[in-house]
Amino acid sequence: MMTTNKLRTLAPIALVAVAILGADLVAPSQAAAQEVQITGPLAGQPAVRRMRLYRQMRIMLEPEFTFTLQDEYSRTLFAGLHAGFYFTDWLGIGVWGAYGVANLDTNLTDEVVGKGVTDERSRLSFPTQQGFDNQIATMTWAAAAQIEFIPLRGKLAIFEKLFVDTDFFIFVGAGVVGIEERRDTSAAEMAACDAAADRFACRFDLQTQRSSRVAVGPTFGAGINLYFNGIIGLSLSWRGLPFSWNTSGFDNSGDPRGDFPDGNIDSNDRFFKLNHMFNVGVTIYLPTDPAITD
Amino acid sequence: MKQSITALWVAVLAVLAMPLGASAQMDFSLDEADTEGEGDGAEGDGGDGADMSFGEDGEPIDDGSGDGTGDGADTGDFGDGDIIGELAGGDDGMGGEIEQRERPTETVEEIYAVQQIYALRLNRLELAPSAAFTINDPYVSHPAVSVALNYWFTNVLALGVNFLWYQWGDPTSRESDLNFFVRRATRLGIPITEWQLGAHLNFTYVPFYGKFSVFREFIFQWDAYVVGGVGMMRTRPVPVIDPEFRSFDFETRVAFNLGIGLRIFLSRFAGIFFEFRDYAYLERFENLVVAPTSAGRQDEGTWFADSTTFTNNVTVQVGFTLFFPFTFEYELPK
Repeated sequence: MMTTNKLRTLAPIALVAVAILGADLVAPSQAAAQEVQITGPLAGQPAVRRMRLYRQMRIMLEPEFTFTLQDEYSRTLFAGLHAGFYFTDWLGIGVWGAYGVANLDTNLTDEVVGKGVTDERSRLSFPTQQGFDNQIATMTWAAAAQIEFIPLRGKLAIFEKLFVDTDFFIFVGAGVVGIEERRDTSAAEMAACDAAADRFACRFDLQTQRSSRVAVGPTFGAGINLYFNGIIGLSLSWRGLPFSWNTSGFDNSGDPRGDFPDGNIDSNDRFFKLNHMFNVGVTIYLPTDPAITD
Repeated sequence: MKQSITALWVAVLAVLAMPLGASAQMDFSLDEADTEGEGDGAEGDGGDGADMSFGEDGEPIDDGSGDGTGDGADTGDFGDGDIIGELAGGDDGMGGEIEQRERPTETVEEIYAVQQIYALRLNRLELAPSAAFTINDPYVSHPAVSVALNYWFTNVLALGVNFLWYQWGDPTSRESDLNFFVRRATRLGIPITEWQLGAHLNFTYVPFYGKFSVFREFIFQWDAYVVGGVGMMRTRPVPVIDPEFRSFDFETRVAFNLGIGLRIFLSRFAGIFFEFRDYAYLERFENLVVAPTSAGRQDEGTWFADSTTFTNNVTVQVGFTLFFPFTFEYELPK
């Protein structure tokens, strides 16, 4: 228990704490592991005994719900399945697949639809207000193959009453994403609408025509699994899936001088973007009985 | 008297720390903590531990193999993974090798019924410098340096303050490309703001704690906490709609915050933490409408939007945490 004298020293100690911080944290002895000094019959014993190996030589099936984060124009909600096989309790392989069940416009999209102004110079990028929410790109499905690494295993006490086995995992792999983007369009096509009987309908039609493609990119992420029993648990994870796409459908780039419009909406208008996803899933492990260490 | 107080604390710690695992399995009696006999307990040398005996129904137990080799922890079936509780649980944990021959009734045990909390927070001061990043503003970034100071008046509850400094150079240099492309294509200006600082009074509560093993070798203690409070932010619009005439001074906004964090102890006084916190406040953005006349444009009353906007500043903070004093003493021995 601290003494009153020690309490009196808190204020000056706090003032020099920042200076001490650097020297303290670079000390190797502090960085390795906590210095839990164990004596008695536990000395020299393994850190963990009778540990349930929830993953080792088991298959995991995880129906999950995924939603994208930090989207510029449209969020995607996915329903998917993650399956994995684990050679050890800390290493496995997995596949993930998800289908986009809904796309939700962001506030920015609503603002552009409501307040955006189109003129002759921006006619190709933004032909009409009304059609903008149909020119933005969306994800339709996604899949990945990945290596899964589980370096941390422990348990969680909630209000000192409920104890839940927990592990922390990271994964890395390759992903593919089905994308719907605005169809490649040229300024000449847009100009041709000027001669159409219904110019607005012509521009709207050019604006809202879609094309599909598959984007390929790396995928990586991290998460935690909570084990309610030997079979069922809850998984929470973040996934990053970077790839190039034209989220807005604008003529962003392509000019030799840099990011200036080149009069064509095409692959030159795509930008490499780190796409964020958050997954919530229910894990089911088979066979139903996990191995237990000595 | 001292023994009685000690016994009381042992009982309290047992209830707090291992309510599910060990309490139903053991009797605790300080009075039986003598060291007579040959001392062939788990380590064979007993007598310097917690001065406790463990047995069921008040009966003393033989606590090891009986040969003084002291490998009691290696034998037997230890149940469902509650290692400490199972080891301390008496004869079941020792593989049923209780010998019936007459033996000294010495029951000194060095297995700790209740493990001490690795890093006590009680009556300690926590200093937590960190870097903060806003994650929900796609238009402009708001990096900040932050420092928090908390006083833990219980082991799970703290009162503290935190301070964030956001103002680094020209705010338009932190504007994202998204603004530029939207402006160019749709002629739609996106009002952005610059933040100077934030200062908040907070309560922190630790409902979750746990430990992780790394490859079954290293044990790391960690806890998760909820933090929330009230404070202020100083912000101002960055003039992007009519920058020729408009300029803004920083104004103070009342801000509420709520967040969750994860603290990993690297030692008994130092750790690292990750925190998600939402600082919510009412922001006054630049008016999207520009007055038609030069006189109107110079009228400061027209520069702000008519209404305030509820703004969430969702921040990730990553930093170090230090507890003072560096050392502390447990109320009870192990």
